[in-house]
Amino acid sequence: MRAGERKWGGWRQPAAIAVAVAFLLPLWFMISGSLREPGLPPPRAPELIPRPISTASYDEAFDLVDLAQHTVNSLIVAALTVPLAVLVASLAGFALLLLAGRARAILIGLSFAALMIPVTALLVPRFTMFRWLGLIDTWAPLVAPALIGLSPFYVLLFYWSFRRLPPELLEAARLEGMQPFAMWRRVGMPLVRPVTIAVGLLAFIASWGNFLEPLVYLFDPDLYTLPLGLRSLETLDRTNYPMLLAGAVVATAPVVLAFVIAQRYFLHEDRGAGWLGR
Amino acid sequence: MSRIALDGVRKRFGATTALDGVDLEARDGELLVVVGPSGCGKSTLLRCVAGLEAVDEGAIRIGERDVTGVRPAARNVSMVFQSYALFPHLTVRENIAFGLVVREEPKKVVNERVAEASALVGVVEFLERRPYELSGGERQRVALARALVRRPDAFLLDEPLSNLDAGTRVEMRTELRRLHREIGSTMVHVTHDQVEALTLGDRIAVLDAGRVRQVGTPDEVYSRPVDRFVAGFLGTPAMNFLEPPAASRFYEIPDGTVLGVRPEHVRLGAEGVPTRVDLVEVAGSDAYVHLDRGLVARVPADSRPAEGAGVGAAFDRGAAHLFDEATGERREWQ
Repeated sequence: MRAGERKWGGWRQPAAIAVAVAFLLPLWFMISGSLREPGLPPPRAPELIPRPISTASYDEAFDLVDLAQHTVNSLIVAALTVPLAVLVASLAGFALLLLAGRARAILIGLSFAALMIPVTALLVPRFTMFRWLGLIDTWAPLVAPALIGLSPFYVLLFYWSFRRLPPELLEAARLEGMQPFAMWRRVGMPLVRPVTIAVGLLAFIASWGNFLEPLVYLFDPDLYTLPLGLRSLETLDRTNYPMLLAGAVVATAPVVLAFVIAQRYFLHEDRGAGWLGR
Repeated sequence: MSRIALDGVRKRFGATTALDGVDLEARDGELLVVVGPSGCGKSTLLRCVAGLEAVDEGAIRIGERDVTGVRPAARNVSMVFQSYALFPHLTVRENIAFGLVVREEPKKVVNERVAEASALVGVVEFLERRPYELSGGERQRVALARALVRRPDAFLLDEPLSNLDAGTRVEMRTELRRLHREIGSTMVHVTHDQVEALTLGDRIAVLDAGRVRQVGTPDEVYSRPVDRFVAGFLGTPAMNFLEPPAASRFYEIPDGTVLGVRPEHVRLGAEGVPTRVDLVEVAGSDAYVHLDRGLVARVPADSRPAEGAGVGAAFDRGAAHLFDEATGERREWQ
């Protein structure tokens, strides 16, 4: 055991439990609140398990708003956005790695600069552009950011991951006659799988929870994504907390599920010493 | 023909000159060892031959082809890297087959060649394992098999033994020598380890600050070094250099020269220049005896003098070398 591990070893577990509780409690109260009878006000004291337990709020939420359709819409948008974002971000990150020093430094600087621009600052020019392209009231504006990797952060994340690979691996591939695209596909990507999964998850969360852009670009309720469905619930019956929380559970569950499935890939990578030949 | 020839090769990295007009030839079927201290440009030289670095000036030929501007894959050379550069996500079999698969060779050919190469370096039993499940020596063998499988014109070995422990390094050195004898291809082996260079190479090229100081057989380079750098770089312990006042206690030397004598040529006994033993280091069967005249002698450990003892030091004039004090170049005795 290393000195640092010895020093913090005793504190690590209680600290982890405290952080987990802090994050899990709101989730638990959301679920327990959604299982209260519809129309009931919020409990005066925290209620871990409601009495009686009822799923009627879920029925009501799905009756009041077409949440099923909105969920399917969100899934379609995410299914288009996530693979495209991962593909573009990883290709761009790999291209950055292969670029000569000066060009790479400029592009990394520009990526950082782009990260500093708030999304809301681009909302109006983007809206104007998509209206000019005749793409308002379609899912295209929601998926389009994936064409630039969704965020410069994901591109940089891939670049940093590729940069961690021993350069000799790519040089060995070059000596064997591999072209850059094949190097990306057959050498780079298999070695940054945890980052690919992490970026995929982050892109999924960003797409799934995106409220602002669907609000700006979508007018047809049949095209609404889940966050807009939740807003409809809130507009139609804003005091029915159990029903609103039922909608929130429906919106949150896929993200939690995706994290639970994905975490084993990016939190538990253990391939032994010398995995990267170092 | 698969000789490798460098003609006036220069390579700069910004203000640093890594290769400064290198002229060097690895003859067809020869194992040429390029040796030099860290940062002397030996790895850069190898990378230029492989095409991983573009040269600023000069030409590189492999066989009769001028490959100076040719992309790495078209040079038909295989390189073994210091870190082995095995693909960690592929099995040993897939690693060895990698170059053939990239070149879309028929599956039958791939299987035959992989079986042949893995048998040659003794990794048949590891074929389904992944590199991180292997020891350093085993990984090195896999890297060699990957280089062999493509049957290239020449092999470039970039300090392939430096990450191994001492025992495995000696074992792999012998393996490399045997392998070279069996396949008979041209090999350029880069190392900073003089023992590796002296034991492995058909010829040695000593590199310093991007320049080739001397090329020759291990015997030639060791026994007739062209300058003080080569003389001091090869040999353990390093050659003794005696400036005029100290040197003249042994032999009269011309003005402006330095006398050099290898520790194994220094005799200790009752005769000779009286000296005192300052320190004794025992290295197995040998002992390195540090004398107060600035001399180091290598003697059999069982006949070493005690520290503090007075002994006479002597050496034959014919075993001593003369170097120019200003330029360091070799001078002959008159």
